[in-house]
Amino acid sequence: MSTTQIATPASHWDIFCTVVDNYGDIGVTWRLAKQLAAEYHIKVNLWVDDLHSFSHILPNLIATKRQQTFNGVNIFQWNNPLDIEYQAGSVIIEAFACELPEQVKTIIEQRHKQSKSLAPHWLNLEYLSAEDWVDGCHGLPSTQVNGVKKWFYFPGFNRKTGGLICEQHLFKEREQWQSDFNNKMTLFKQLGLTGINHHDTVISVFSYETEALTALIRLWQTSTTAIHVLIPKGRSLTSIAPFIPGETNNLIPGQHVKLGNLTLHILPMTDQTGFDRLLWSCDFNIVRGEDSFLRAQWAAKPFIWHIYPQEDDYHLVKLEAFMKIYCDNLAAEISTTWCKLNLAFNQDDQHAVVNHWQQLNSVILPLQQHALNWPNNALDDADLASRLVQFVKNS
Amino acid sequence: MKTAHEIRPGNVIMLDGSPWVVQKTETTRSGRNAAIVKLKLKNLLLDSGTEQTFKGEDKLDDIILERLDCTYSYFADPMYVFMDEEYNQYDVEADNLGDAATYIVDGMEDQCQVTFYNGKAISVELPVHIVREVIYTEPSARGDTSGKVMKPATITGGGTVTVADFVKVGDKIEIDTRTGEFKKRV
Repeated sequence: MSTTQIATPASHWDIFCTVVDNYGDIGVTWRLAKQLAAEYHIKVNLWVDDLHSFSHILPNLIATKRQQTFNGVNIFQWNNPLDIEYQAGSVIIEAFACELPEQVKTIIEQRHKQSKSLAPHWLNLEYLSAEDWVDGCHGLPSTQVNGVKKWFYFPGFNRKTGGLICEQHLFKEREQWQSDFNNKMTLFKQLGLTGINHHDTVISVFSYETEALTALIRLWQTSTTAIHVLIPKGRSLTSIAPFIPGETNNLIPGQHVKLGNLTLHILPMTDQTGFDRLLWSCDFNIVRGEDSFLRAQWAAKPFIWHIYPQEDDYHLVKLEAFMKIYCDNLAAEISTTWCKLNLAFNQDDQHAVVNHWQQLNSVILPLQQHALNWPNNALDDADLASRLVQFVKNS
Repeated sequence: MKTAHEIRPGNVIMLDGSPWVVQKTETTRSGRNAAIVKLKLKNLLLDSGTEQTFKGEDKLDDIILERLDCTYSYFADPMYVFMDEEYNQYDVEADNLGDAATYIVDGMEDQCQVTFYNGKAISVELPVHIVREVIYTEPSARGDTSGKVMKPATITGGGTVTVADFVKVGDKIEIDTRTGEFKKRV
């Protein structure tokens, strides 16, 4: 049986996602798919090659089921070659330059040959970067050898780019959540985290492995006030292994380890709404990659961004580019401290990260105020989904 | 076929049934190390321009056109004039040279390749590596000899190249014309 067919153009959108970094790529595409369905009433098919990883952020997803629907989004197991009948819609998004299945590319080409107007809009949704070159590459066509046009869509921090993923009522929900401290206390209780008092410092950690984290844990142990570090099972845990009696693999969510005035809490995995609320509830967030990096900004709390490491330390160029725009209107003392802290963390510099964390105290109040103001500045009028819908209409 | 990453200014590629000369290439890095190549193109039939973006490994249909080894002769605004070994002269529009124009200087002896389309000289490819003199750069700030600290330098002809901190005025440097990168001090 043929698994592909050419039919009358349908109006649905297909998003294809290969899972590279467990929760990053799928995190972004899942948020986008939900938003397109909820706010723009677009029928979205999300094709994912690793439903098991996906199920960590969508706990009700059944990893062995080939087709299921959540939040109005049809989720498909993407095997290569495709073994589910495929019908092209009006838009096809390859997330983060993933390679579309051959059957899909064939259908795009056949449609294009019939008539250019019949071919679906084919977009490559790229990674988020604050680098200047993004402005000049966003929205450019990419004519393939067969004549089919694909478009490069770059998220970004200004109007020349494709914007940032942000649900319509997110900031209002966050403000309401943060206006009542009972919300965070209830959340901590629901997550099985015990012994946290309202005035204690709470830090979430969702980073890659780094000795900088090990150094910070050592520092926080000696704190004169109570600090709680919330950390899920995964890559960050490797860096705190020296402090854990026994194997980190044996830790279970809800378990905690007391080290002086520092308490390490093992977090259960949560869905995206739960993760947002966790970030909203902490005093400081250490995040990684792209999805949690953006959500930490929307949480309006100070954060460290542990960026995905690249060859030749190129990730530091991307980090510098973001720090430059984030600190654009910050006083030099504040921006220097925050930037050096982020740089030290990303360079695994144990001495420097401790030093700059200690200096953070003197600038924490204006930094918190800046974090509060940042989301509206960064969004710059329109979010990614609305710009994307408009882009498709115009192209 | 070439990958987008292999395309150089002066190449001619077929896009949607038309020949386009590549005037400028710009390679950047996306997340997870993937290359993104932005091309500035000029349609050889319609004389119109466009910009397109490709993944580094995207295949592009480059056309093998007639080429001749030539040397640069002189500039007659807006044309660069090149000469072959039989002293035939060929005019190439400045626009079509793209970034290569940065490296064109009077008296240069570099062997270039002039490309022809329908009998008309349409572009020039420089050698992959050329040597130029640094005519201005700030003195070394920190005495760095590792080659990791970089600074801007103006080369003969007025172009700017990012060079290692140890490079001084008067030094001759090797440049990769595909990327505009400083390779070494000669």
